[in-house]
Amino acid sequence: MSTILRREVPKIIVMVFGILMILGSYTTIPIFDTIKAELTSWTMTISAVSVWLGAVYATYANYQLYQRNKKDGTVHLIYFVVPFIVFGLQFGAGILYGVESAQYLWYFTNIYSNIGATVYAVMFFTLASSAYRTFIASSWDATALLAGGLIYTLRQIPLFQAWLPGIVGFGEWVMLVPNVGGGRGAVIAAALGALALGVRTLMGQEATVTEGA
Amino acid sequence: MAGIMELLGMALGTFLIFSTLSMLYKDNPFFRVGQMAVLGSSIAHFILLNMQTVYNNAWTPLIGGDILMVIPLVLGLLMYSRLKKSTAWLARYPSSVLIGIGTGVMVAGTVSGQVLDQIAVTITDVLNGGGINSMIIAVGVVTSITFFVFTKEHTGVVGSSAKIGRKFLMISLGANWSGELVWYLTQLVGRLMYVKNFLTALMGG
Amino acid sequence: MSFLSKLGNIDYRWLYITSLILTAIPLFVPIGLTVTLSEPVKDYYAVIQDLPEGSVIAVSFGGSAALLDEQEAQFLATWKTIFSLGHKVLFYSTTEDGPMILTNHLGDKVKPEDYGYTYGVDYVELGFSPLGEPGQASFATDIRGVYQVDRRGTPLDDLPMMDNFNNWEGIDLLIYQYTSCTDIEFAVRQWTVPYQTEVIATTLGCCGPMAAPYYPSQIAGFLSGSGAGTELEVLSGNPGPGAAMSDSKSIGILPQLIFIAFGNIAYFAKMYSKEEER
Repeated sequence: MSTILRREVPKIIVMVFGILMILGSYTTIPIFDTIKAELTSWTMTISAVSVWLGAVYATYANYQLYQRNKKDGTVHLIYFVVPFIVFGLQFGAGILYGVESAQYLWYFTNIYSNIGATVYAVMFFTLASSAYRTFIASSWDATALLAGGLIYTLRQIPLFQAWLPGIVGFGEWVMLVPNVGGGRGAVIAAALGALALGVRTLMGQEATVTEGA
Repeated sequence: MAGIMELLGMALGTFLIFSTLSMLYKDNPFFRVGQMAVLGSSIAHFILLNMQTVYNNAWTPLIGGDILMVIPLVLGLLMYSRLKKSTAWLARYPSSVLIGIGTGVMVAGTVSGQVLDQIAVTITDVLNGGGINSMIIAVGVVTSITFFVFTKEHTGVVGSSAKIGRKFLMISLGANWSGELVWYLTQLVGRLMYVKNFLTALMGG
Repeated sequence: MSFLSKLGNIDYRWLYITSLILTAIPLFVPIGLTVTLSEPVKDYYAVIQDLPEGSVIAVSFGGSAALLDEQEAQFLATWKTIFSLGHKVLFYSTTEDGPMILTNHLGDKVKPEDYGYTYGVDYVELGFSPLGEPGQASFATDIRGVYQVDRRGTPLDDLPMMDNFNNWEGIDLLIYQYTSCTDIEFAVRQWTVPYQTEVIATTLGCCGPMAAPYYPSQIAGFLSGSGAGTELEVLSGNPGPGAAMSDSKSIGILPQLIFIAFGNIAYFAKMYSKEEER
């Protein structure tokens, strides 16, 4: 009974819900349309309700990090406490004044979006230094990589659009012809793989999907 | 003239920009503090917005008489059962619902949208006199697909085709890299503009 | 080691410093370079232009606050274009950051009221819901199944624009604004394939090459990166933040290109000197 509840029932749920979605997409029978609309709306509620789980796991990971490093000094206590302080202040502002209030937007703009944007800015430097080492025309494959990258980069930069007028058309050609050739092949190959995995999942043969959950 | 809170916010933001950029030199406490701050801020933001979603899209309809909303609410709560080992298996139920719905919806659209339509447009372009470009695309599509055939050894015709396909895929990867590089550069420009705006506001501009 | 070979071993911190300095200079000393228009951007604009007056456009808004530098020009130019043509707009956010960005932009930078729009009659904001692919499918078939109220808490039935309108049939164009490269597949699978809804997209620069295979057969046009946003600003005659960034990008990229050239020169110099030794 325990095995049935823990293993077989989840597989049946996956199969039933999956087939209902497929029927809703491929048939014109109104009841399946209604069921599809209702069930797909459930996914948003399930995701939204379970968001606190992420907070719990993040807190636990932060605590473990502190436990591993606390012998190295009190600075790790500061690292441990800072997320809670910022969380408390921002969460409080959101509850008291609303998420569209100036108070909440102060935290949103100056901390959340600012640091997030800066992390991507840092990635420019790391990508640039790695490209310096790796974008070498040492083989035909590497040359193709370098050519595709350089031509499309030059096409995007206004300075080179002015210096090399032909680069715009050439860069667009690279994106819309060889890139589409390779990209479309990758899309089809990935779709076939996803279909195979999807069918296996619906037939209950992908145990890692349900048992790992 | 910027208000005092706005100025304080920009000062904090500028400090956080430089603290994050400082990791390019080496890992340091300022960088770590910034990262911990954004962790707390992100969690607060995601929780608030999702609580609002639950209230608007599930709780309010439930109170208004839509009894079916009990089911996704209960399933969402069942996700928390994974926090305890003895009850963790209960979380398989909401996960299975999500996987079943997500897989069904994906499978339904993939056959047409990403396989048949993509093949059709490739062939149609060639047959409709799309010229040399459509031929190049068709060659690229066929050869890139052979690159992903792992059930046959890449020798002979298949091997040659896969080699050509790899070139097309490398060009695609190069174009993707280029897009990323210019994107990250744009982000850097944006942050420098933020700092410039702060300095301008500080000087009374 | 010859001088040319040493070009491959320069301390990469020189790359960081030169990039930072050259990127910052045009912020104080603008150059004013022009941009050239590309086909996907022209098609994107043409699709909006060709809609009959009063058409309903659904904007699936997946913007991220951390990525506004890259996408703000796209958003603002698109909305200015739509509002100036008098189309009705239904905004729905698929990311947690979406509502905040819309509050900021539609309340401050592009006010629909400045174009004669009235909330509830000409445009509606539905707020955030964690719509993945199933959510898009749900929205396309039953809008009220996903959103019972708009972002201000008003029931949809009380909004004149939402009269007799609850699914894909009432939508003439979907503008799919996303940041995760593979998400374009959601729009193709859940809008284009089942309902043949016309779809155009805005995304990051790195996602443009991944959207290209779907263009123009399944997505009629797309904007990829801030450069495309700048192109739309120029094309539509709506100046915005994109132009201010163009000069910095032009000069800031130069160290990267020079260092890649150095790396290749060093590689071939080493190869040539090894061959000479033999």
